[in-house]
Amino acid sequence: MTDKIIMADRIKCSCGSDNVAIFPCVGASNVGQISNKVAIELANKDVGTMMCTVGIGGHVPGLVKSAEGCDHIIVIDGCPLSCAKKTLEHACINVDKHIILTELDIKKDHDLNVTPDQVKDALKKVMDVL
Amino acid sequence: MKIEILGTGCAKCNKTKEIVEKAVSETGIDAEVVKVEDFDRILAYGVMITPAVVVDGDVKIAGRVPGVDDVKKWITQ
Repeated sequence: MTDKIIMADRIKCSCGSDNVAIFPCVGASNVGQISNKVAIELANKDVGTMMCTVGIGGHVPGLVKSAEGCDHIIVIDGCPLSCAKKTLEHACINVDKHIILTELDIKKDHDLNVTPDQVKDALKKVMDVL
Repeated sequence: MKIEILGTGCAKCNKTKEIVEKAVSETGIDAEVVKVEDFDRILAYGVMITPAVVVDGDVKIAGRVPGVDDVKKWITQ
């Protein structure tokens, strides 16, 4: 029951406010994993709705149409490879705000086990530039 | 033909249903129009924002109210 309520919260009704989508890269590095955690925190703060970047790459119609129906698109990439932004561009979805975590003074490595403090620090930096 | 309106019964969802029914009526297409409010079924289509319109299993739009002409195009293709 609780799971269903949480999932229901994740489906955004477009009545009333702008639709903002958040796409993290979720790459196989510390910054990729931090992008995911930061996106979750932003969704929890009602900054926007977190959406599936890999679903856009897979051209899943429901996910692509959901992205097309948004008023603003925020992309959080871990590093300058900008995989998430490129994925959206391949699907002809315009990115309004592109954030690269390494440009916020977060060093990239391949430790996937990120700590709450790393996420907290990244979230603060991301919130400052949004 | 089956046309599903995905949404929670909000104003835009109701407006979308009205528009779909108008398009069906004006084209004379034999179609079943169904409202879907079950979150599991909405998520099964990958839809993250509502309202959404699904025609014979194909998601045509999400997060916006379509125009009558848009719906006519989808159902007469």
